[in-house]
Amino acid sequence: MIKKPLNKFLFKALLFTMPVFLFFEILFRFGFSPIVTNSTLFDLKMLKVQQQHIEKVSVLSMGSSINLYELNSNIVVRNFNLHYYNFASWGLQMVDQDPLLKDFVKTYHPKYVVICSSFPEFISPQNNSYLNYINANGFLKKNFPELFYFKNYNSLHQIVRRKLTTYPLKLDNWGGATLRVKQKDIDRQKWNEHDIFPTRYTQANYNALDSISTFLNVQKVKFIFVQAPIKKSYTNTSLSTQLIQLHFERCKSIVEKQGGIYLNYYNPVVFTDSLFFDQYHLQDTGAIIFTKEVVADLKKIIK
Amino acid sequence: MLFTSLPFVCFFVIFFLLYWYVFSGNLKLQNVLILTGSYVFYAWWDWRFLFLLIGSSALNYILGIYIDKSKNEKQRSLLLWIGLVQGLGCLLFFKYFNFFIKSFISAFGAFNVKADIYTLNIILPLGISFYTFRTISYLLDLKSGKIKPATDWVVFFSYVAFFPSLLSGPIDRPKTLIPQLEKKRVFDYSQASDGMRQILWGLFKKIVIADNCSLFNAGIFDHYKTLSASSLLFGAFLFTIQVYADFSGYSDMAIGLANLLGFKITRNFNYPFFAQNIADFWRRWHISLTSWLTDYVFMPLSVYFRDYGKSGLILAILINFTLIGAWHGANWTFVFFGFLNGCFYIPLVLRGTLNKKKKAGGQSALKAFANMAGMFILLMFTFLIFRADSLSQAFDYYGKLFSSSLFSGFVITEKLNTAVILLCIAIMLLAEWLQRDKQHALQIDAIKIFPVRALIYFGLIFVILSFNATKNADFIYFKF
Repeated sequence: MIKKPLNKFLFKALLFTMPVFLFFEILFRFGFSPIVTNSTLFDLKMLKVQQQHIEKVSVLSMGSSINLYELNSNIVVRNFNLHYYNFASWGLQMVDQDPLLKDFVKTYHPKYVVICSSFPEFISPQNNSYLNYINANGFLKKNFPELFYFKNYNSLHQIVRRKLTTYPLKLDNWGGATLRVKQKDIDRQKWNEHDIFPTRYTQANYNALDSISTFLNVQKVKFIFVQAPIKKSYTNTSLSTQLIQLHFERCKSIVEKQGGIYLNYYNPVVFTDSLFFDQYHLQDTGAIIFTKEVVADLKKIIK
Repeated sequence: MLFTSLPFVCFFVIFFLLYWYVFSGNLKLQNVLILTGSYVFYAWWDWRFLFLLIGSSALNYILGIYIDKSKNEKQRSLLLWIGLVQGLGCLLFFKYFNFFIKSFISAFGAFNVKADIYTLNIILPLGISFYTFRTISYLLDLKSGKIKPATDWVVFFSYVAFFPSLLSGPIDRPKTLIPQLEKKRVFDYSQASDGMRQILWGLFKKIVIADNCSLFNAGIFDHYKTLSASSLLFGAFLFTIQVYADFSGYSDMAIGLANLLGFKITRNFNYPFFAQNIADFWRRWHISLTSWLTDYVFMPLSVYFRDYGKSGLILAILINFTLIGAWHGANWTFVFFGFLNGCFYIPLVLRGTLNKKKKAGGQSALKAFANMAGMFILLMFTFLIFRADSLSQAFDYYGKLFSSSLFSGFVITEKLNTAVILLCIAIMLLAEWLQRDKQHALQIDAIKIFPVRALIYFGLIFVILSFNATKNADFIYFKF
């Protein structure tokens, strides 16, 4: 007896909810992706990974914009007959990479993990929004990312604003990107910028690197930590040279303690200031030189 | 589980389908489902406190049986006292233990006496104030013969833990909810539709208005020392709106959910911003709490003090309101907030206008509007105490508020967002004003053309989806 009004009620309820779901599906298809973390690039990259159906990655590279721009995907892929993917994203600190990498290792089962890094990855606190991604259900991440619209209370105006204000970055098929800015277009402020290092968050980031090394050692994944080049003018005082040297030694000892491999490419003679975009980002030409050097060394490790 | 969270939506959809499609033919099974669902809902937050809820329900159920059976008045009083001591004891322990200890330490400290008393790391069980008041009113009503004991333990346990109103009210009375649990429920299309509309309205108030106000005024209250007085005034305005939208939004959702299950639960808000004076306001704000305290605290007190005339009445009001304030939390700010509201009654008592309701058309629209505006300003300043972490912070805020910069402009960092939120507040107030003789603002059955109604619903859904605050704040009243 009650079924008739109940069915009518459910039908009307569906009539009102279905257009909402449909609307979000259309948004999704048109590239207005859900906001999962507060990093636009990270969200885009994870969506790309999902769309590319990447199941297994043998050589997984990870890091911040340094790893993203400086490890040239074409050179890496040409030299290794292994599945490779670059999971780096803007602004990732070691404290962010630690939980993310653990999640990626469990998902993609890599044999090698390469982190191209420099001191900017050791200066800021953790960005808790990455936990939204890490703690999300694996099935949801892989098959139904649209649900993040509702799970994270994404509002339309934020989704649209993010889409319209995103820096148009073109990722290659392996998650890498190229930085190409003409010398005359380089922002002078960025060029002369001098990040303070160390900061009160540096120790936490060293601890995170230690945690990554230990984890990879336990998982029997070969860890290769690559110190990326730094613009010579950054180290123009004896204090900054000393601080950078201390940083190199600290990272080396952490990585090697757990059986990882530490490679350092700080070489102002090879990587002259003209190859840089700012204090620590190499442009495309510099990235090619750098990647070739890295690959030559990796060939001795990655079989 | 927050009503606004994805897990709750999934939980409720499954619950609803089971409730009406599978168990609708069997009242007992339907009640068992309500009880199980309520416990799952509660345990989602912290399963350990489920034992407290079950234990409290069991004790009060047994006490109720014996109060009803006993013919000996002394024995009945003793049983009632056992229930009161258990309920109020748990409430005092979980909610006020550390507050009392810290207050004692401060009091001793004022006389240069160092008191080495330890505080405990006590977690406040969610909803304890609400379900304790339910069990207390059950025993009190049973003792005074107003109700019969619950026929079945599942009914009583479900009454105590009824999930739509478990965490933040409304505080349902046994005479309202228990008979509904004992009676076979039939799906009523119009009731369910109205429930959906009320949920939609509650969502709008909570996630568009309250959560956005929360984001804005958090910035203002956290940096009040460095901001201009006009910014602080704006913060006070937003917080007043936030408290109302947050709590009444939750109540709307709770009532709407209950409607979907075939229950009619107590109304908690009756457009309090349209109140003409303080007495009118408290008849419209958190109605289930104020009526509870009126029946069980104020009425006995006013009888007790009746020989003292107006002074006795004022005393009863002050005690009642101090308790209302203290109910909100273990902080002197709440106690003072309640006491201050009690003080606002004094002119009404002295003028003899306490219970006089303004007749419709008895005063000019301008006067009515002026009264409402005056009340809102008074509330704005009073709710500052409610918001502050301590009394000294509240007075500091007042000090900065009443300064020369009150008439200066203030810096708005996100102009578009501010304009949108102000527009949404205006829509809320206007809709509620137009619908003030209805149960909620979205009761628009008078519009007979379905596409127009549908347009309004979709419009509201669009606003909710477009401007909801990304950071979903907890309901303010959860911590009470």
